[in-house]
Amino acid sequence: MRVGIGVSTEQDHIKAVKEAAGKAIADLNTEKIDLALVFTTGEFSHSLVLQAIAGIIGPIPLLGASSAAVISSQGTLKHGFIIILFSFSESTYFNADCVKDITLETTLSAGVELGQKLLYGCKNARRNLSVIFSNIDTPNSSSLITGLQQKLGRSFPLIGATVPKNTDHQENFLYFNSQILNNSACGILWGGKLKFNLGIEHGWQPLGKPRYITRATADIVNEIDGLPAVNLYKEYFAKEIPELKRELKRISVFYPLGISISEKKEYLLRSVVSIENDGSLVFRGEVPEGSSIRLMISSKESCLLSARSAAQTAIKDMEGKTIKLALIFNSLSRQALLGRQSAQEIKTVQEVLGENVPLAGIYTSAEQAPLDFINYSLGKTYIHNNSIAVLTIAN
Amino acid sequence: MIILLIYALTILPLALLLIYKIQNVNQLRSQVLGLKKSLDDMDEQAKLIVRTDMELNKIQEELDKKITGLYALQRLSRIISMTLEEEQIFKRIQPEYLNDLGFEKAFGFLWDDEEKQFVLHFCLGYSDDETKKIKSFINNNKERCVNFIADEKTLSSISQNNNLITPEELNGVFNVRSFIVSALLPHQNKKGLIFVGTKNAEIVLTEGDEELIKILATQLAQALENARLFEKTWRAQQELEKKVTERTHELTVAMEEVKKISARKTDFVSSVSHELRTPLTSIKGYAAILLTGKLGDLPKDVRERLEKINRHSDELVHMVNNLLDISRIESGRVTMKAEICNLKEIAAKVEDLLSGQLKERKLDLITEISPDANLILADRTQIERVFINLIGNAMKFTPPEGKITIRSHKPKNMIQVDVSDTGCGIPIEAQEAIFEEFYRVDNTINQEVKGTGLGLALVKYIVEAHGGKIWVKSAVGSGSTFSLTLPTTS
Repeated sequence: MRVGIGVSTEQDHIKAVKEAAGKAIADLNTEKIDLALVFTTGEFSHSLVLQAIAGIIGPIPLLGASSAAVISSQGTLKHGFIIILFSFSESTYFNADCVKDITLETTLSAGVELGQKLLYGCKNARRNLSVIFSNIDTPNSSSLITGLQQKLGRSFPLIGATVPKNTDHQENFLYFNSQILNNSACGILWGGKLKFNLGIEHGWQPLGKPRYITRATADIVNEIDGLPAVNLYKEYFAKEIPELKRELKRISVFYPLGISISEKKEYLLRSVVSIENDGSLVFRGEVPEGSSIRLMISSKESCLLSARSAAQTAIKDMEGKTIKLALIFNSLSRQALLGRQSAQEIKTVQEVLGENVPLAGIYTSAEQAPLDFINYSLGKTYIHNNSIAVLTIAN
Repeated sequence: MIILLIYALTILPLALLLIYKIQNVNQLRSQVLGLKKSLDDMDEQAKLIVRTDMELNKIQEELDKKITGLYALQRLSRIISMTLEEEQIFKRIQPEYLNDLGFEKAFGFLWDDEEKQFVLHFCLGYSDDETKKIKSFINNNKERCVNFIADEKTLSSISQNNNLITPEELNGVFNVRSFIVSALLPHQNKKGLIFVGTKNAEIVLTEGDEELIKILATQLAQALENARLFEKTWRAQQELEKKVTERTHELTVAMEEVKKISARKTDFVSSVSHELRTPLTSIKGYAAILLTGKLGDLPKDVRERLEKINRHSDELVHMVNNLLDISRIESGRVTMKAEICNLKEIAAKVEDLLSGQLKERKLDLITEISPDANLILADRTQIERVFINLIGNAMKFTPPEGKITIRSHKPKNMIQVDVSDTGCGIPIEAQEAIFEEFYRVDNTINQEVKGTGLGLALVKYIVEAHGGKIWVKSAVGSGSTFSLTLPTTS
């Protein structure tokens, strides 16, 4: 496998495409291009950009997404265009596809459909890994993963990034071939010879006493300890609902809930998306009824340590292998928490992986990955919030 | 009885066990209550921690925003101050700086006095249609904008009280939720305004933000002012360069004319001198023949007149020869035959040549030739003429018992010879003119002593023809020093 990466921060979008694609082709050093991944900031999300890419690299499968910021070896870019070109050997194969117009009612079936599409032609072959991009904000986002797992297997490694549909003043989209998509999901399924590893961490710590989810449906938690779910935040912050709504973004970033996973010390984080009038809380990801939860808190230091830890996990078992690429899906909440130190996080990852490992990635609203990738005992993929996922890929 | 005993024996241990269990349960319940209390206490502490943490996070965010804004302002100030072109100043306001300042939309207008309207100089974050709408809005509300600029204010959505921009205009024209607008006030340039805004409802503007944009406006105004001053200076310099070129051309033309005239003069002097020399030779010859007495004895009066003719003829021949030499050197017809010459020998020869006159005038000639400044590369005959002229002049203007000194030394790559006297000196105003042809200082000695006014001119031509220089230092009554430089043998 060969990988070529091109990055541009040119203001002119077409110039940026030309510059980055030119660099990626030069870096790839072969005429055979099999697949392209594209990560951009929101302002690049228009069809002319995709046309310009196709004009340079030809009609090859292309997937990607836009967000508030992208990640490269240069650091975090608030205006940037990244293209990653792959050229696979005959022993590695892949399939890429997408599902569009996902609604609340069709999230599960969309997951099943995408799983089916990805498996097309790969049924009897050994499949390794799937990377999924999505930009849905229905309050049952876990269903997409559930649907995919129904087809690909519950413990099959799915690594995913959900990009926010809007960030501040910018709309974000998914890219699939020549299409710019909203409310969609697209993915790649890899099989054959491909070595990869994942580290995912968040760095938040539990605070206060445990509580129990007494009524919940998918991503919506109605009651905690028999009381309206919002009471938890009302108690902790001594604020009423209108004030909590005003502070929601800050609360979502800094104080998510942590779901205790019985087999692990680790907590699965859930950030609040909205506060409903009946006192229910909508989270980014499923919160099962009966779960033991705690309020979580973090610090810049703990956040940076978790990024280091994720990177360290991602290079375990990679001795003797040349890491061709490290894909990073990093939560926008971490960027908000770290503030001016957010650049330090990517530096830390680069430092652990080594300066020769090219980085590429995107900032996310949610991440999908198994809890424990190394032991594989908990191979099931979950939705994560406020986490950094580092996926290393080698031959 | 037995049954009762058996019953009692069975019940009693059970009762004891029950009492023990109840005690245990009570103990556990008390422990649970203790733990619950601890957990509740811990939770209360957690609440305090969370609230404090939230406050700290807010402060940190505000601080981060301020620092990021200040950095952006500092970088922006630096790059706009690095250009001196008006349009470049505005082009350097890039979206990244704007974002770091907390805004995504911005524009700037400057008032055009000729067109009597505001001209848009930069616009970021707006589509073409939005830009057109803003342009027409600003120019349809000229008076409002001009008054705002005249007030030299910075206003924002938190401080304007809807006086400057109504909520409808904010939404309909400028498409922002929060904004800051500041007057651009260069001292002597087109005035204008800069507007920054954001649609982001979460951004809450502060007075600090207003202050930052005010500083940015001041920096822009300063940069515009600098650009104007630079342009003015540049134009003045261009004008000056043009004038200098014109004058240089005029001078070149005039110089060519002077050269032509000078060449014509040289030719004229040369041919006249030649023409004069032939009859002069005849006059002198005939006078000499008559004086020999071969054509018969001459009466005393006639002899005296003939001797005068002979003497004046000699002077005239000398003068004509000098003129011819000058014109030859001027026209380049004479080339200096450079050879290694010994200054001591030349001085001795000249001293020998003039010893009679020196003795007659009771003058002392001192020669101080330094050993390291003795050898020169020059035309011996011409240099001898230089010395004869200079010492001859010194003799003329130095009263009896006076002193004439020839001194040499080596200042850098040339040898300098100074010929000093203790004579009457030369007035400052005449010190340059004495090297011109036919110039004679107006003093009593010159009125008494005859001279052509060509000697020093000839000396100057000869020295310069050797690549040297000649100058004089003198004061009336304090003698004169003529200094000349000549090439060394190296």
